[in-house]
Amino acid sequence: MCLSPSSQPSVEKIGSSLSKAVFRGGYMDILAFLTDGLLIGFVYGIAAMGLTLIWGVMNVINLSHGSIIALGMFALYFLFVSLGINPYIGVVLVAVLGLLLGMVIYAVAIHRVINAPHLSTLLATFAVNMIIIGLGTTAFSTSPRNVDFSLGSMSIGPVTILGTRAVAAIASVLITAALYYFLYRTTLGKYVRAVTDNRAAAELMGIPSARVLAFSFGLGTMLAAIAGGLIATFFPFTILSGTTYELKSFVIGVLGGVGNPLGALIGGLILGTFEGIIPYFLPTSWVPVLEFILFVVILLVRPTGLLGAKK
Amino acid sequence: MAILEIKDITSGYGEVQILWGSTMSLQEGKITSLVGANGAGKTTMLRTIMGLVKPKTGTITFEGKDVSQISAHVKAEMGLVLVPEGRQLFSDMSVEENLEMGAAPKRAKPRFDANIKRVFEIFPRLEERRRQKARTLSGGEQQMLAVARGIMSEPKVLMIDELSLGLAPVLVLDLFHTLQKLRGEGLTVLLVEQNVQMALAVSDYTYVLQHGKADLHGPSRDLVNDTHIRSAYLGM
Repeated sequence: MCLSPSSQPSVEKIGSSLSKAVFRGGYMDILAFLTDGLLIGFVYGIAAMGLTLIWGVMNVINLSHGSIIALGMFALYFLFVSLGINPYIGVVLVAVLGLLLGMVIYAVAIHRVINAPHLSTLLATFAVNMIIIGLGTTAFSTSPRNVDFSLGSMSIGPVTILGTRAVAAIASVLITAALYYFLYRTTLGKYVRAVTDNRAAAELMGIPSARVLAFSFGLGTMLAAIAGGLIATFFPFTILSGTTYELKSFVIGVLGGVGNPLGALIGGLILGTFEGIIPYFLPTSWVPVLEFILFVVILLVRPTGLLGAKK
Repeated sequence: MAILEIKDITSGYGEVQILWGSTMSLQEGKITSLVGANGAGKTTMLRTIMGLVKPKTGTITFEGKDVSQISAHVKAEMGLVLVPEGRQLFSDMSVEENLEMGAAPKRAKPRFDANIKRVFEIFPRLEERRRQKARTLSGGEQQMLAVARGIMSEPKVLMIDELSLGLAPVLVLDLFHTLQKLRGEGLTVLLVEQNVQMALAVSDYTYVLQHGKADLHGPSRDLVNDTHIRSAYLGM
């Protein structure tokens, strides 16, 4: 379980200069490990933002999060391979598709159980997850795919930075900033915050809360799809790859606190760093073990998250 | 002219029926109060009028249109605005943002600048605290913000649930005077109050809700002298 196919690339860093690095490498190598982990951490942050946004707004744990990340990967893959679209333009299209897909999922599967106990929404989103994975396995099989795209790399001393990862990291920072701008400066964004804060009161003010919830769910899945698209530019993937990133998103959500985009980004960086450093000291198979030990410890010690939470 | 008419409304939650055929009528440009004992169904009445609870039978007519089965956010668009019990502010949003959310209805947006100016004139304290989060306000300031947010919606009928609850009497009087001023500008107000004496003093017309019906009603100044009211609600 810990070694699902998708967790291997993330630690072996296929295609990066680090694949040749062995455990307990030279003193300088740790810098390389760190940088790699940190850059991927930005993208983890975006994935986690999607999960915590939905949880924060409507108290729904979206168990289809991982499969939507995987769909983001495939969407980018087909846009690139079949239509020859530049991956970064592809990510924009993937974002739009992710938003629309989320609003459809909300309307079909979530809205009717939104006020039901948590088990109902868990089962509803889990069902969506199984449907996506089932259809995806039929359509794409589970053999790994790879977006054959490179932006070259840049070396600074012992550290080699892959272009695709650097761009993904920068994109993640821009997306976080855009999300903040949206939530705090636009009317629709303020509606999202109002519904998060007090749905009944929002309804009394004339805010159509059901539509705002649908949009918020779409926003969460959009972030998941974007994260998938960005990850696809440097890691191979299958339709099952999303699970790993979903689990990471949970760990990050706990690290960064719920309903706090910046917290998710910082949580992503912490987890990425963690992942970068562990293989330096221990076999890579220890990464998920330590990650989830961290998860449990934080839940025990600070259940509201390291950086504070919504309530 | 009656702007809002409630006819033979029955309503409640699941198996529990609370309103048993209540009838009320609100005159435009007047303050009407709805009083009654704790648990008489006053809040349920407001929630039913607003559409947060759908009436089982009976009709609600607003400006001549049947709005019985219309949901709350659409009614807010039409000008039927509720300041709910317990304020229900957006606690993590600033005072200014709360007011902005109040102006969500399309008909309120074009008047935003004029309305916020007016609201700050009525409640200068809110202007001083406009950047503060709502949760950091005192109880009185929060109640001011709840009323101000309601005014920002450009209501035709403003319904207020328990304006006086938990507030210092001086502040309550202040808020009531504000409402009387707004009535002077043509606003229709429905005041739900546990403080019967206060409600009778500031309103033009009063309904008394008992056993799920609002059969006892009349001009407030007449009810003050009603012996039943005096003994049951005013302790005289």
